[in-house]
Amino acid sequence: MSEETTQEQSARRQNYSEKEKTEVFDGEFMPHVDSMYNFAYRLTFDEDDAKDLVQDTYLKAFRFINSFERGTNAKAWLFRILKNSFINEYRKKSKQPNKVDYNEVEQYYNSDDVDENITTDLRVETVQHMIGDEISGALNNIPVDFRTVIILSDLEGFTYEEMSKILDIPIGTVRSRLHRARNMLKEKLASYAKEMGYNK
Amino acid sequence: MSEFSDWFKDTFKKCYCEHGNLIDEQRFAEIVQLVLDNEADDESRSIFEQKIKSCVKSNFTFEKEKKIKDEIKRKLCEHKAEMPMNLVETIRKSVDI
Repeated sequence: MSEETTQEQSARRQNYSEKEKTEVFDGEFMPHVDSMYNFAYRLTFDEDDAKDLVQDTYLKAFRFINSFERGTNAKAWLFRILKNSFINEYRKKSKQPNKVDYNEVEQYYNSDDVDENITTDLRVETVQHMIGDEISGALNNIPVDFRTVIILSDLEGFTYEEMSKILDIPIGTVRSRLHRARNMLKEKLASYAKEMGYNK
Repeated sequence: MSEFSDWFKDTFKKCYCEHGNLIDEQRFAEIVQLVLDNEADDESRSIFEQKIKSCVKSNFTFEKEKKIKDEIKRKLCEHKAEMPMNLVETIRKSVDI
């Protein structure tokens, strides 16, 4: 990601009037509220937490609206704020009992020999047979940082470069994390299918 | 040249034996992902497309990955959480506009 000096940042800082702020907020931020809620819900699994997270994101977006340049990628900017709020605030008070050590998982899934241990023997027919609820359930069962890249790429259509900025990780890590994430999801789906007897 | 040009060439080479047969499907799946996500540059895409035209196994893997990705994406998109009715109003109130 490109380094930006404080001087460059302040030079790009906007000075919107109240009217312009409302225009930016309504015209560029609010159209993404549905996607933001879905992202928040898939991170928190809780309607109230998702609602709070989205509301908090929009409050921050409004507070820092002068840091946003009109006509640039508002959706990516908002998603970045939401992701940071989730990590800094909501993740800490997560109700989920089994916390995953992200560093440990990433280290494991980024090691060279990891694919030897991954079985992605998932048939197309098996996925066709499944309903959205089952696939969502499998997605919800993979660690949040891996789940996030699938949501950003496959549901929200962000490019690797946009994801790299939203998640603050190098673009190469986006590529490898997405590959590991999809393998994890396939594994979950394959074992679920086996349990349910879908493969017979 | 895109971010992944060198990675693509290097990885692509490792997928095939000296006779041009696909020997590493897992690695090839990473390349397929790059192509399906529209992140491969023109040159890499062209190398890839030429190969899947002539290699049955590569083509099979590509088609399988594509179908699974599309199916998962379609079903996840259909299964979205419904946004609370009053959320937009609550947000607008909270920022006082």
